[in-house]
Amino acid sequence: MNRFLSDLPRWIVFGIAAFVLNFPVLSTLATSFKTNAEISRSPGLWVSAPTLEHYRAVLEVSERLNVFGYLANSVQASLIGSILPIVLCFPIAYAIARRGYGAALMFPMVVNLRAMPLIIFAIPIYMMYQTAGLLDSSLGLGLVLTVVNLPLALLLLVNAVNEVPYELDEASRMDGAGVGAILFRVILPICRPAFATVFIFSFITAWNEFLFGLMLTTTEAVPMTVGASFFFSSGGGGVQWGVAAAVIVVAALPPVALGVLMYKHISRSMITGSVKG
Amino acid sequence: MTIRSENRILATPLVLFLLLMLGFPTVVDIVYSLSQVSFETLRAPSFNGGMNFVAVMKDDEFWSALLFSLRFGVTTALAECLLGLFLAVHLAPLIRRNSWIIAVIIMPMIIAPAMMGLMYRLVLHEFVGSLPYYFYLWLGDSPAFLSRDNVFWTVFAIETLQWTPFAFLLFHMAYEAVPGDLREAAAVDGTTPWRLFRHIELPLMAPTIAVALFVRFIDGFRVFDNIFVLTGAGPGGSTTSLSIYIYMSFFRSGEIGKALAASVILFIVAFGLLALGGRYLRRVRA
Repeated sequence: MNRFLSDLPRWIVFGIAAFVLNFPVLSTLATSFKTNAEISRSPGLWVSAPTLEHYRAVLEVSERLNVFGYLANSVQASLIGSILPIVLCFPIAYAIARRGYGAALMFPMVVNLRAMPLIIFAIPIYMMYQTAGLLDSSLGLGLVLTVVNLPLALLLLVNAVNEVPYELDEASRMDGAGVGAILFRVILPICRPAFATVFIFSFITAWNEFLFGLMLTTTEAVPMTVGASFFFSSGGGGVQWGVAAAVIVVAALPPVALGVLMYKHISRSMITGSVKG
Repeated sequence: MTIRSENRILATPLVLFLLLMLGFPTVVDIVYSLSQVSFETLRAPSFNGGMNFVAVMKDDEFWSALLFSLRFGVTTALAECLLGLFLAVHLAPLIRRNSWIIAVIIMPMIIAPAMMGLMYRLVLHEFVGSLPYYFYLWLGDSPAFLSRDNVFWTVFAIETLQWTPFAFLLFHMAYEAVPGDLREAAAVDGTTPWRLFRHIELPLMAPTIAVALFVRFIDGFRVFDNIFVLTGAGPGGSTTSLSIYIYMSFFRSGEIGKALAASVILFIVAFGLLALGGRYLRRVRA
């Protein structure tokens, strides 16, 4: 009790911070469960007669809007954008960590991409995709999302290989194993937790990406973030705010669910990505 | 197989990918930014010297976009780091016993900036938004958040509230990394908490603070998503960041050469900042 009283001022500060930081989320959640009448009558946080009608409306496929399509596109592009970085970075992470090959140029270059405004590559990529027929495809979007996720993937995988005891390599080399065998039979199994972290973090980043989705897709491969914004451009008769709120909740749910499950890992990797960058 | 060729094979996938996805675009950036080009003549650009760069330099919108990005990057980085530092230090005793506090505070970071921007479309809406509603209810009047006079500080607040958690998280870890015996020694000497913070904890956290300021500045400087969905660069182009300027020049007005020249300028600025920042951080750490 005593401790609680002495902590009380800090709890109040925490309460205010948590409320202010998460206010838009709370407000959007509230709106998504209100009836249309209540949205215009009382826009506050209180919901007096909760309803699921807006969620039902979101899931209705129309000619203009197709949430299932957006979700499927986001899943596809995000899967490419979170698996490909691992595939590309794992071999060279071994070369960097064990042999210092690429440590002077490749490693800092890729890691510093984190701080590059990627829009500078957006227009050439757009023109390249136009020629290659990759515009408006989940593959094309996934390749760009891979670029976005490379810095963190390389950094975390180099760290992970560094943490594998060198004696394990030596022992299997004595047994006559080549670099491929060492990579896949020795290093890979030990690095599995790092793979999981990179995958989940990259997936969230890819899912949340907006700029390239906006530029590189039009109808077939529109990801969820861009699709959600369509609900805010009124198709005749003004924006339906309840439906718009519900679609944001649907779009934000996958990364939030992953994040809540994994928040300890994620917070650590977010920080690694920036400190070394 | 020699170690050398092994290394090359290990590096090949990533190198090829980078050449394709970044190397080639960089060449296109440079060539096309020096060319006369439109959507019709996309395959056949004709060299026109530095005309695109001159056009960009003469464009008032470019300079106001650059100024917006700089101002936005600096103000949000400062505000996020100050708030984050305060929360990390002030809440540290609570967090040690209740680590779930971290999850609540970093929640906004996991949400897409574009979704955050859309949420504020709703939250700030004159008739259906909760914020104007409470302003009217409690203060009798509500500011026009997205009017020309207020819009900068509105998007500033939105960015700051979403990314203060990032600074908080960095500072929380740096604060916990301060050696416990330093704190104990200070306690034995009867030091006040403020002096402990000012003379021991803060100097030890300084490198982390420098990193956080730098990262937050870069992210603020290149801002696109949340502003684009909330204001669409308006009213009257007053929230056009450099990223939005490039996007608009390309997609809305089809000025490809100009958009690419602006991209090259942004590339050089970002590269310069990165080199400077890297050198500074190495010095701070040493």
